[in-house]
Amino acid sequence: MATAADNRFREDEKRRDADHISFLKHRGFRWLWMALLLCAFSIIGYALIDQEPRPNGGSWYGYTLGTVGLLLIVWLSMLGIRKRRISEGAWSLKAWTSAHVYLGLALIVVGTLHTGFQIGWNVHTLAYVLMLIVIISGIYGVYAYAALPKELSANRGDKTGGDMLDTIADIDRKLESAAQPLGRAGSDLVIGVLEQDVFYAGAFSRLTGSYPGCATKRALAGIPATGSDAEIRVHELLTARAEQLAQIRRHLRIKAMLEIWLFIHIPATIALLAALLAHVISVFYYW
Amino acid sequence: MAFLIRTIAVAKSGREIVRDRRVEKDELIIGRDPASDIHLPDLTVELQHLKLTDAGKGMVAARALGELPFNLDGTSVTEARIDPDAGAEIAVGPALLAVSRDADGSVQIIIKPAPKDKSAGEPEAGFLMASAMPSKRAMAWTFFGLIFVLLLSVPVITHQFREKVENDPENLETGSVLFDASWSTGDLSMAHHDLEDNCEACHQTAFVSVQDETCITCHEELDDHAKMDRQLTGMAPFSTGDQIQWDIGQALGKEGPLGCVSCHTEHEGPVKLEASTEKFCADCHNDMDARLTDVAFSNAGDFGEKHPQFRPKFYTAHFDKKAKRVSLDDKPVEKSGLVFPHDIHVSETGGAAKMALSLSQYGAPLECSDCHEEDKNAPGGFKPVVMEDSCEACHSLVSGTAGGAFTKLRHGDVTDLMEDLAKVNLASRRTVVTGRGRPGQYASSGRYYANFGRPMTAYIAINRALQKGGTCGDCHLRTTTDGRLDLIPVNIPDKYIHGGFFPHEAHGDDVAECKDCHATETSGEATDLLIPDLESCRDCHLGETAVKTEEIVPSGCAMCHGYHTPAMPWKPADHPDLPGNGGNDNVAAILSSLRR
Repeated sequence: MATAADNRFREDEKRRDADHISFLKHRGFRWLWMALLLCAFSIIGYALIDQEPRPNGGSWYGYTLGTVGLLLIVWLSMLGIRKRRISEGAWSLKAWTSAHVYLGLALIVVGTLHTGFQIGWNVHTLAYVLMLIVIISGIYGVYAYAALPKELSANRGDKTGGDMLDTIADIDRKLESAAQPLGRAGSDLVIGVLEQDVFYAGAFSRLTGSYPGCATKRALAGIPATGSDAEIRVHELLTARAEQLAQIRRHLRIKAMLEIWLFIHIPATIALLAALLAHVISVFYYW
Repeated sequence: MAFLIRTIAVAKSGREIVRDRRVEKDELIIGRDPASDIHLPDLTVELQHLKLTDAGKGMVAARALGELPFNLDGTSVTEARIDPDAGAEIAVGPALLAVSRDADGSVQIIIKPAPKDKSAGEPEAGFLMASAMPSKRAMAWTFFGLIFVLLLSVPVITHQFREKVENDPENLETGSVLFDASWSTGDLSMAHHDLEDNCEACHQTAFVSVQDETCITCHEELDDHAKMDRQLTGMAPFSTGDQIQWDIGQALGKEGPLGCVSCHTEHEGPVKLEASTEKFCADCHNDMDARLTDVAFSNAGDFGEKHPQFRPKFYTAHFDKKAKRVSLDDKPVEKSGLVFPHDIHVSETGGAAKMALSLSQYGAPLECSDCHEEDKNAPGGFKPVVMEDSCEACHSLVSGTAGGAFTKLRHGDVTDLMEDLAKVNLASRRTVVTGRGRPGQYASSGRYYANFGRPMTAYIAINRALQKGGTCGDCHLRTTTDGRLDLIPVNIPDKYIHGGFFPHEAHGDDVAECKDCHATETSGEATDLLIPDLESCRDCHLGETAVKTEEIVPSGCAMCHGYHTPAMPWKPADHPDLPGNGGNDNVAAILSSLRR
């Protein structure tokens, strides 16, 4: 007979195992199966139940799918609230996230069947499209969270972001004193470099890694590598700076790809809630 | 000239470090060059940026040496004169040079570093995407607000406070609701296209579904399919889901399943109204007797397989005031009050044919259309047969001659006839002409003249028109009323088929001849009802699901029956030119056809 200590050990082991299982595989894909079941029921019902004159969000089955969809959307959107509270157990954040992902995917089926494939330029389709945008950005988010952190740490090596910025600051100090003997044109180029914030560029540059306005690149082109001692020294420093910038920009690019989806996912979710409100109210207002 | 140069530096602790030095020179070079009198180690400063010289009378002249200007008391200049007594502030690059007069009379220049903008916050925050994107929260609330205001609040508020006006397609401005087009789930049907931007014409009250009375304001001519309570009893039972939906809907004020919009769903795209499908009718009529046990007609579900025998309405007894519906299966006998053998009249060889041949108005054996003239506006599709037009050419009522013209008996009223008959006996006989005169007093103008001419046979018949063998009896049945000779009144209904509709023009010459359906050639009695029966229609017409061939026409209920007007065909009369809706190839339709 198992002793209390044995039981305790087994429980602890289970918890420790669970701690290292991805939210996608949570409890043997429990929520994946739930979501598949929901999809299967929705599709079979849609195929078998005769809705006259045609399948439509306003038939009883349409209302049923719509209600399920609405409840799902409201619940899924509450992950934002849930994740700010710490708790564990059956409704741990991991369980919640797992359900969020799989039920969110099931919403594609439920929502699409609710439309009865009737699409138009109206608030109803707006809600549907926003829902799809939220889901697709979410799918990307899952991919990003699974794939990109590896790239991020590979690029970073043993440096933190702060270390990279310190390197730049260090180079800049040397650059400023090394540039003292330079003439006007060279000075201006170096001023441009020093004045340009590492994070000057916008989201597009971060995502694409394209920085057409880079002052360091311009200064490298403008200050010859073979010239006065000062110029040679400045060129060396600029080269070092460009290398460090490249690492920072790779870091920025991966971080941007890791985070950008939330800038779509979250606003689109809130917009979806508004569109959903307008959708439900308008349908019954003009019943 | 002496310059007193005081440099103030700020230590990290914030303490000021002041260093003074005196320069006994007439001119002072300020620049980045370490050899300058005042060395400003900043890249924005020229190597030799500015020169201060004694301008006499205690004044100092300042001149920029390179391309870059300097800043004097907030103004960018390349040259200036400075009065140290009045004091001035020169800005070169990041440094501020305050020029004043020292107590000992020398020019004092106090150099202060310009306050540097300290980059605020955590520098690593720049790595976050949030630093390059608008705030998620701001975007979220902006989108929320736009949708909430434009797509919800504006329509609701303008609907609530609109001026309620009569529906007027010409004036959509007055009392219109703004932005509610965004609420439309799809285009309206073509017939209602004019209402497209006029949602409130149908959706009159908030949260109240479209009401029948609103539809009736325009479609006031439409009849109910049957009495509402009868329809509710006769309807096919709902599925559980539908039943729950109707229960909830009706509890919330929606018109019931017999409401207009229940069948006439809108916002399904620019379609034209389609005739109801056979299934739509069969849902109720296929087994209606199970629910409406007292109904007079039988079940129907498919014209080819399940349709009751026709029950034309006609007079089943002489003198009847009301026509009766009798099934063609019940060997109907029509009591029209007439004697009319169709077979003699339509025969191409008999006496009637010969007679018609001899008459210029026919010139050929009689055809059906000689008597039965089509008229779309007539109740049965034909003008009534009028004796004077259709019969009298042969069945003459001429009673004699007067003033060179024929006289004839009036038709239609026995009293008139009797008056005319009284005159016939006075009419003169034709003179016998032999070529030989009689002698003396026996001559035609003589005292003993007698007209031995033969009375014309027609006259004899006319004379005895109402008696047995008389002219009237050729076509009419005789009777006596109050001891007086009389005729049985003619009772022919305007139309025979009341529960459906039969367009003769759709069965024109290229489809069938009259006799193909109406057994005129074998009908020797007027009591024969020549309405074709169900079986004869089924030669060509089978149910909607029948396979179309050269002969077989798949025929849904709506081909002969209208939902709102059972005796009229369903016809999209208002929009005859609308294009067809085409095949329905959407997913739902495909699934629907697979289900069946």
